[in-house]
Amino acid sequence: MKNRFAISPPLAALILAVVLFLLSGLLPNGYGSDMEVARAQAINILRLSVFLGIIAAGQTLVIISGSEGIDLSSGSVVTLTAILTYVTVNGEDEKVLLALFISLGVGALVGLLNGAGITFLKISPFVMTLGMSGVVTGAIIIANHGNVSGKIAPIMTRLIARPLSPSIPIPNALIIWLIFGFLMWLLLERTAFGKNLFAIGVNRVTAKLSGVNVTGMNLAAYSLAGALAGFGGFLVVGNTGVVMIQLGQPFLFPSIAAVAVGGTLLSGGKGSYWGSMAGAIVLTLITSLLTTMQMPESVRRMVLGDTLLLMISFYGRQKALRQ
Amino acid sequence: MKRLSWDLMMTRYPAFFALIFLVLAVVINFILQPNMLSQETLNNNLRVFLPIVLLTVGQAIVILGGGIDISVGATVSIVNTILATRVGLDGSPEKMWQFMAISLLAGALAGAINGFFIAYLRLQPIITTYATSFLYGGFALYILPNPGGGIPASVAEIYRSWTPLGIPLAFYVMGTILLLWWYLYSTRFGRFLYAVGGKAQAAYETAVPVTWVQFSTYVISGLMAALSGIAITMLSGSGNAEIGAAMTLTSVTAVVIGGTALSGGIGGVAGPLMGALTLGIIQNIISFAKIDTWWETLVKALIIVAALATPGFINLFRRRRG
Amino acid sequence: MAQSLSAYNITKRYGGVLALADGNLDVRAGEVVALIGANGSGKSTMSKVINGVVVLDGGRLLLDGGPVHFSSPQAAKNLGIATVFQELSLIPQMTVAENIWLTREPMQALGLVNRKAIQTRTEELLALFEGTFKTDLHPDTLVASLPADEKQIIEILKAVSSDPWLILLDEATASLDSRQVQRLFELVAKWKEQGKAVVFVSHRMEEIFRIADKYSVLRNGRTVGEGDIKDINENKLVKLMIDKDSVFAFARTASKSDDGKSYCLEIKDLKTEVLRGVSFNVREGELVGIGGLQGQGQRDLLLSLFGDVRFSGEVKLFGNGSRLKHPRDAMERGVALVPGDRAKEGLLYIRSILENLMLPSWKKYGLPLKISKAKNDSTQVGASLNLKMAGLQEPVSSLSGGNAQKVVIGKWLMRQPKLLLLDDPTKGVDVGTKAEFYALLNQLCDEGKTILFYSSDEEELIGLCDRVLVLHDGMIRTELSGKNLTKENLIAASLGIEGGAE
Repeated sequence: MKNRFAISPPLAALILAVVLFLLSGLLPNGYGSDMEVARAQAINILRLSVFLGIIAAGQTLVIISGSEGIDLSSGSVVTLTAILTYVTVNGEDEKVLLALFISLGVGALVGLLNGAGITFLKISPFVMTLGMSGVVTGAIIIANHGNVSGKIAPIMTRLIARPLSPSIPIPNALIIWLIFGFLMWLLLERTAFGKNLFAIGVNRVTAKLSGVNVTGMNLAAYSLAGALAGFGGFLVVGNTGVVMIQLGQPFLFPSIAAVAVGGTLLSGGKGSYWGSMAGAIVLTLITSLLTTMQMPESVRRMVLGDTLLLMISFYGRQKALRQ
Repeated sequence: MKRLSWDLMMTRYPAFFALIFLVLAVVINFILQPNMLSQETLNNNLRVFLPIVLLTVGQAIVILGGGIDISVGATVSIVNTILATRVGLDGSPEKMWQFMAISLLAGALAGAINGFFIAYLRLQPIITTYATSFLYGGFALYILPNPGGGIPASVAEIYRSWTPLGIPLAFYVMGTILLLWWYLYSTRFGRFLYAVGGKAQAAYETAVPVTWVQFSTYVISGLMAALSGIAITMLSGSGNAEIGAAMTLTSVTAVVIGGTALSGGIGGVAGPLMGALTLGIIQNIISFAKIDTWWETLVKALIIVAALATPGFINLFRRRRG
Repeated sequence: MAQSLSAYNITKRYGGVLALADGNLDVRAGEVVALIGANGSGKSTMSKVINGVVVLDGGRLLLDGGPVHFSSPQAAKNLGIATVFQELSLIPQMTVAENIWLTREPMQALGLVNRKAIQTRTEELLALFEGTFKTDLHPDTLVASLPADEKQIIEILKAVSSDPWLILLDEATASLDSRQVQRLFELVAKWKEQGKAVVFVSHRMEEIFRIADKYSVLRNGRTVGEGDIKDINENKLVKLMIDKDSVFAFARTASKSDDGKSYCLEIKDLKTEVLRGVSFNVREGELVGIGGLQGQGQRDLLLSLFGDVRFSGEVKLFGNGSRLKHPRDAMERGVALVPGDRAKEGLLYIRSILENLMLPSWKKYGLPLKISKAKNDSTQVGASLNLKMAGLQEPVSSLSGGNAQKVVIGKWLMRQPKLLLLDDPTKGVDVGTKAEFYALLNQLCDEGKTILFYSSDEEELIGLCDRVLVLHDGMIRTELSGKNLTKENLIAASLGIEGGAE
């Protein structure tokens, strides 16, 4: 399907974000013409987008890998790793690195199980990751039933929730995200792994016949996605300082919508993380707009569902039966 | 030719394996609960299983046609919330019938929306119905933000204890559904369904009305989800916007263990129906096995993953040998 | 029953590509018209316009003199036009009977399908080809379990079952063996007597002259010649098709003596699901061809040597025993494969030309990837192949068939392979590019590379190869070289006739 737009999807998403932000200013609770408030709100939106954006990174990878790739377990992995971090750190700065490794490791393990089921047992990614999500949730309930006690470390709050310095009001989280985004770009566009990922997303037969280890790539993609979700969990708990059973679930659907808004083809083989970043900003704006308008949860869900539908109607049309 | 005999079995008689699973489950349940086959217990069980059975039948038809419907659980929730709020505990039976009819329309509409996006706009089924599941789920929550409401006790009583000829009502419903399916299977539409699910492009070139067939499978699925919503409302007697959420995955799992391939064009409806019964019985087994409440969620999830993995394991084993 | 269908000045575009610029065809009852053209000439598009699968952009279609517009393939079917497709329109998961009668099932009361009638009528249809089946074919046999030739026959029966007045045979004989072709032609003769018309789309000259009454030649999307078959001969037809006397205008350099050159390939008793024990050796620098009808194991042979298909038996590459488990293993030993279906197996259609050329080789470009070096190397390879493209960043889908095939070859040439395996590489490639390929293959052999390639085109095998191994029924039926490498011997060996060569 030839792109009907002259502008690239990530740019289109960014423009959409700006438009939405300007609209938000016009609302009764909005910033109106107060530039100071506008700037503060903009920075806050960006800061909030970071977490969705990082959780959408793993999603971006598996969607690019094709064959209807998707990761519905990332929501529960976020919750699980958040809890594990919370418990492991228990307020001590020295334990933070350990907690990070545990988060990445556990996430990667879940991802590997997903990848194994999808690759070796030929279970469709949607069904496999959905099933896995239930398993992880079951594990969370078991881990949680004693009412977990724990605490995040001060260094985490300093590095994640605070700005760079009092005089530079850029949130650290945003800086982390930018560095992360650059690393993702490197991974996707400047490594053999990235090129191979796109290749298997387009055509697995061609990829294999060109020497790509399709099985390995598939396992790696899902494992990496799991690890990135784990990283997301680590950051989320570092930001909020609290854990709940439904901590990660609200990120799941928006993460998929963010990838779609950013122009990554849901059929695989084409896309970018910049797009997902822009998409995360758009989705965070939508959610925050709805909150400002004091819309209930039900409306939020309906709007999110509609957003995804709209995006796939634009970007996701498959070939017609008759040409 | 010998090589293909396993494929032949799986393709022509997939319900065979579903039957084996069902018998196995029944045996294990019987061991744990010797009065399982008594009329009262049977009645209870079938009542509880009926909602998921109805949902599975609709799901099976969509999957046979080459698609999948992730929004069925949300449609169940919509119907439940409509009935619980509009009829209410003090509503009249006439109002109940009225809103049951409206629920069926709602289900058909939900299905038609899915069908429009998938069959006419040619969007991918999984992601589309995932999106509509949020849309519909949000709508259910909008109708009933907090669990509550209900249906008249007299109506719930019908569902609970009506046993014409000593056999529970639910059984008649399942029987009717099977008969209807058998009829559908023997018509041209049945042929079209398998053709579209098998290889849509080839079906198109053979002038099968592919778009219309795909669209109608989603409408059927929506209708079955509405019926399932009615059944579960009669079962629980009250309203809850999240009631259908977990049912979607269960319906897909039931189809898989029923031998109907997720790729489409292979299998039938009898197998998934047995699969749904099997999953229900496994639920019973878990309750009787006295597992710690904390562990229940994990165990159920593991069983679902195991069930989903079974066809994969079987194929893996075959490939290694062959 | 209708009497004639005429097409005038048909044009059709697919995206940016003009498939038909001026297509014409005239079909009358009781006649067989051969629709001829090289790959890419538009003949497949033409047949799709006639049977309603594709909508024409310009021109007129007349049925019995009156204008007609097919709103869908069903509309054309209703008007009595049936097609036997090249890419089968059968549902693999359904049975023979179900496939034949799909949408036209005999009915009984209450909207139910009449299974008994389906059974009987299917058996009657199967009887038309009785004696030509290799397997035990019932109405209840699953199509997925049938070999290619029997699937084709079911496709033919499906078209015939609707009692059409016009039957379109689109390369229908490609997968059939000689007995089946003979039976088909007997049926065609019967259809002519019944007043039916047949459009025979094919490139097999021998069959065209056996069965056609009229001809119509397409070249580059235009009809360049029409008339009675008795007024023309093969050479003139070929000339119309390609506007060149012969593609093999270059001289095959006499192969230097190969004795004493070491072995590139030593194969002993290679067995796969299709191959039943193949043994042969190839020396370095040879250009060896594989011949035979489609589906006799050629594809399996090439894929095994590339590590994509499991096999038993012994394979030695350059003197070393090799266990090839994955294409990566083969690649690292200097083997390259140009697969049979470039769209499905050789290219990443929506990615850029650069990425396609670089796909097997990214590992060599460092971390992070040196993109400018990749671009340089790709431009070089492209230039050496005379690749016509708008730019390296353009998607490969923007290229014509011949240039796309060059990309497939280019991605391997970048790795300087020592053994090139090619699976029908010139299929769907225009004639000009074909000539370039032949020159390239010759040049590669002169440089000391070894080439093993399968072609369904006898002319190609004869013109290019030092020797040809003909496969039949999973084994090497015979080896032809030198004086014995003739078309008759090739065809005889393909059909399994013993003693094809001395």
